[in-house]
Amino acid sequence: MIPPLFLTAIVFANIIALMSISCTLALTRTNVPNFTAATLGTIGVYISFTCIKLFGIGLYPSLFFCFIGGGIVGIFIYYLLVKPLRERGATREELMIATLGLDILLIALLNIYADYLTRTFKIKTREFTLAVYDFTVGGMDGVLIISTLVFLGILTALHLLFTRTNIGIAMKALGENPSLAECQGIDTERLCVITWFLVGALPATAGGFYPIYWITNPTISLFLIVSVFASCVLGGFATIYDAVAGAYIIGLAQTVLVSYLAKITGPWILPYGFFVALLIMITTVFLFPQGLYGLPWDEIIKRIQKIFISIKVQWRFKRCSPA
Amino acid sequence: MFPGIEFFVTLIIYILIFLIVTLSYNMAYGYTGVPDFGRAMAAGAGGFLCGYLPGRLMAYILGIQGDYLQNTLSIVTEVNAFLKENPIISIALLVLTLLLAALAGGTLGLLASLPMFRGLRLFYLGVTLLAIQIGFNTIAYYWEPLIGGPLGVPVPDPFRWLTNYSLLGVPPASMRLIGVIVVSGIVLLMVSYYCISVGRSPLGRLLKAVRDDEKGTETLGRDTRKLYVKVMTVSYAFTGVAGALFAYYGGYVVGLHFDRVSWTFWPVAMVILGGLANYKGTIIGTTLFIALRRFILLYKAELEFMLPFSPVWLEDLLLGIILILMLIYRPRGLFPEKPEIPLSREEIEKIKEERVQGKR
Repeated sequence: MIPPLFLTAIVFANIIALMSISCTLALTRTNVPNFTAATLGTIGVYISFTCIKLFGIGLYPSLFFCFIGGGIVGIFIYYLLVKPLRERGATREELMIATLGLDILLIALLNIYADYLTRTFKIKTREFTLAVYDFTVGGMDGVLIISTLVFLGILTALHLLFTRTNIGIAMKALGENPSLAECQGIDTERLCVITWFLVGALPATAGGFYPIYWITNPTISLFLIVSVFASCVLGGFATIYDAVAGAYIIGLAQTVLVSYLAKITGPWILPYGFFVALLIMITTVFLFPQGLYGLPWDEIIKRIQKIFISIKVQWRFKRCSPA
Repeated sequence: MFPGIEFFVTLIIYILIFLIVTLSYNMAYGYTGVPDFGRAMAAGAGGFLCGYLPGRLMAYILGIQGDYLQNTLSIVTEVNAFLKENPIISIALLVLTLLLAALAGGTLGLLASLPMFRGLRLFYLGVTLLAIQIGFNTIAYYWEPLIGGPLGVPVPDPFRWLTNYSLLGVPPASMRLIGVIVVSGIVLLMVSYYCISVGRSPLGRLLKAVRDDEKGTETLGRDTRKLYVKVMTVSYAFTGVAGALFAYYGGYVVGLHFDRVSWTFWPVAMVILGGLANYKGTIIGTTLFIALRRFILLYKAELEFMLPFSPVWLEDLLLGIILILMLIYRPRGLFPEKPEIPLSREEIEKIKEERVQGKR
């Protein structure tokens, strides 16, 4: 039986992983450092909330609307912000500040929307959870099963997209050299739109899972962003697989470690939960700034093999030698 | 409703304090191109230091017994009563705290820029600093031994002795605000002098070269990483002093006072609105934004009836929209940076003439 804490950690890791994939895609495919990844997740939260509370749609069917709604927001961001800035030749730092501005704007809009819902429909739009809408199968929460399935489904779909389809390969080319890709006849505009659809859709879908376990309000992204950035930095901002690895390490470490520490030290430590992510991030920046992607994996595997072989030899030697 | 004199006094104080922040930020981002999103940390270092140190120090000197955090209100009242009668000690305490705030800010700047030595890209630095800043503010807000946790602590008032006097018809009670204005003005003058001198010196041109072409500057034998670290340390030190002045002005410090929106994102918008590497632009950008924010706060009640949403969100909406529009339509700000000529016009003309005559 897996302890419930690990199950919570897996759900959190799934959420962070989808947001980190979005962040990595925006940077590697369109060269935009996207600070809105976590806030796009909050947009997903409120799309799901609206579907459930106002339209009576179920929790998990509402994920479809989160995906589409988030994707549309992503396309809007591309046309209204990213494209004009790219056309005037904005630097990466300027793009970064622009997405920060957008993040503040989106959080304000989410707050206004939450106020509107409360005023008009008299429903609680802050400090809420959607846990009552979840189901259980064999003692396991539905969110664990669905979030893992959705995450694996999206990861597989993205893997197939980037390795087996012309669009995916063209997107890689776009990320590496946009001018050259255009010279080769690739419709870079269309690819950017597809990329930004994904950049919006993935975190919004992840956001749909968040209120099932955690208390939610329009400003949750302020803390989630630390975990998302930590995952991306640990991954190395390079490939979606490294982002996923980073997110799982961060998600599991943050949830499990802090809960165990709270048992030992008391609940005062809980508000500092994201410090685990922050510490991992700082360690990565100082020790291996290229992240997991930049580590010499061949060498590491060889060394591990050598250590195993030496342990094996010593063990055999001990067995053969007379007592 | 026309704002009263208190509004304008507060406005001046805010402008002076934030000008220290934006001028120093301009040095880091405008001149050197460091996308620094951890500025609130430096301001917080100065502000939290004011909440932590002067009260304890004075309580120790005066021999006041008892747990500082549990009896903070009575201890600070006692300290303030002493400071009211001792101008020299008040000034000494103020100078000492401002120096320590600069040291605290500078140390944070040094630590924050250390990853640059590991070859960290500027984008990574921006991301890392933003995350670290959130962590820093969380510690300040929740960790009670620092500044009393969510409740905060009162700060001893080194301007209290001014309330014994009255000048040019200003009532004694308002004299402390005049004191804050004078001290902030002096600090601002020093910071401005330093920043403008750097901007006009060969160092300023070197910083611009780093911003425009980091690799190119490196090929000319300049250690750009060391430059980044130096700029970050100095500009964080200045921001630390601004944070300390803000804490002294408010007379109370809570972890939430030095939030990332007010102390990082607004200064970014102010510098971008005014124009990068341009002190005139920074001054105008800062004044415009501070006035806008103060007027929104003043007319909050009136705006409540005019807007379809709560005016609480108006500031953030405006900040986001202005940042985006400025970056898209006027990335060089209201006062774009002018190319600087290291020689005077006469000298250039003289060289030109010499060239024409074939002497050069």
